[in-house]
Amino acid sequence: SQPLAGHQTAELQSKVVPSKQILHSDNMEMEPETMETKSVTDYFSKLHMGSLVYSCTSKRKNK
Amino acid sequence: MEASCLELALEGERLCKAGDCRAGVSFFEAAVQVGTEDLRTLSAIYSQLGNAYFYLHEYAKALEYHHHDLTLARTIGDLLGEAKASGNLGNTLKVLGNFEEAIVCCQRHLDISRELNDKVGEARALYNLGNVYHSKGKNVASAGTHDPGDLPDDVKNALQKAANYYEENLTIVTELGDRAAQGRAFGNLGNTHYLLGNFRSAVLAHEQRLLIAKEFGDRSAERRAYSNLGNAYIFLGEFETASEYYKRTLQLARQLKDRAVEAQACYSLGNTYTLLQDYEKAIDYHLKHLVIAQELNDKIGEGRACWSLGNAYTALGNHDQAIHFAERHLEISREVGDRSGELTARLNLSDLQMVLGLSYSTNNSMMSESHVVENSFNGTRPRVGRRHSMENMELMKLTPEKVQNWN
Repeated sequence: SQPLAGHQTAELQSKVVPSKQILHSDNMEMEPETMETKSVTDYFSKLHMGSLVYSCTSKRKNK
Repeated sequence: MEASCLELALEGERLCKAGDCRAGVSFFEAAVQVGTEDLRTLSAIYSQLGNAYFYLHEYAKALEYHHHDLTLARTIGDLLGEAKASGNLGNTLKVLGNFEEAIVCCQRHLDISRELNDKVGEARALYNLGNVYHSKGKNVASAGTHDPGDLPDDVKNALQKAANYYEENLTIVTELGDRAAQGRAFGNLGNTHYLLGNFRSAVLAHEQRLLIAKEFGDRSAERRAYSNLGNAYIFLGEFETASEYYKRTLQLARQLKDRAVEAQACYSLGNTYTLLQDYEKAIDYHLKHLVIAQELNDKIGEGRACWSLGNAYTALGNHDQAIHFAERHLEISREVGDRSGELTARLNLSDLQMVLGLSYSTNNSMMSESHVVENSFNGTRPRVGRRHSMENMELMKLTPEKVQNWN
């Protein structure tokens, strides 16, 4: 029943209003989403760096 | 076992970075199967699985993994990890149409980023929030038969919030000198203004987007900006300018070898030339659109092409071609179960048949023709609902006064 109601309204308007045809696009072009990223590589490189720093400082302390 | 999980996850990361998300997912899932006691590693795997499924458009799976990631991040008290998981969950909920929960998640991303004084995170959360409110507004708007600028209050409020978040984001990313982020924010801000009916502001934002796209040599973004500028100029009533932007869209679509986008550009051009009352050119572009729609087996697009061609031929008084395309439109509408399209096609056909009948019996073709043109161009067609087709152009009526009010 929705399209019919829409049709009736459009028809009524077309008789009353000297309309001008125009078109519009719903096809808006949106920008991409940004997702947050996590990485095993980053985590392990940090972990690895951390253990390196730790071993260096502990070696120094030992000296 | 531990090393094996890590190795699998690293291979998954490598594959996803190389653009092969499908293969990446297999490795990440294998890594989960093997398992690890290191909860940070597991969190990173869940997060990447969620993102991979997001890019593969498998949103239910994306939701599942981002949710796992969020739970894990909270368990281990990783605040930054929680912010990231919340943001990703928010984006996924948005795509799934769960806007209220999406807002809660994106707000959490924003709150934590501010707490950690993480400006980059804050800006990204603001952009995501803008996107959620934009989608929310658009979603409600498309459920009704509203045109840009003619919106109920709840839609207007959501879109206004989106615009505010994009503006806030722009302030930060400008301070940070992040041009790529500025480009994204301008593009979506432009589209928000377009929906709000602020077509001049939409043009200003899309012009900025275009400038940044050119700076980066990002031709996809450049094409998007041309297309959005074309849409805005249509509503400003500046059809010549709109046609120029659509032509640039078409040019880039061809260079980028994107047939669906090429078809959309041809369709937009066909409609623009209809507005300019240059029906020969309109027919030329609609025929180009028709050929690609058939090639891509896009039935909805083909139906719209036939409808538009029927209208253009009617305007030229070529009733034989008009009837041919109206019949084809009817056929396709039945085939795809488009009740509204079917009704439209029937009305067009009965109008055309009446004109031809009257022409033959009364020999008063001038009057008959003008009758058809009046009826078929003045909105006797029902509106067609929004569809996910390569071309979503809609015919609508607009008085010149209304155009002025919107400026």
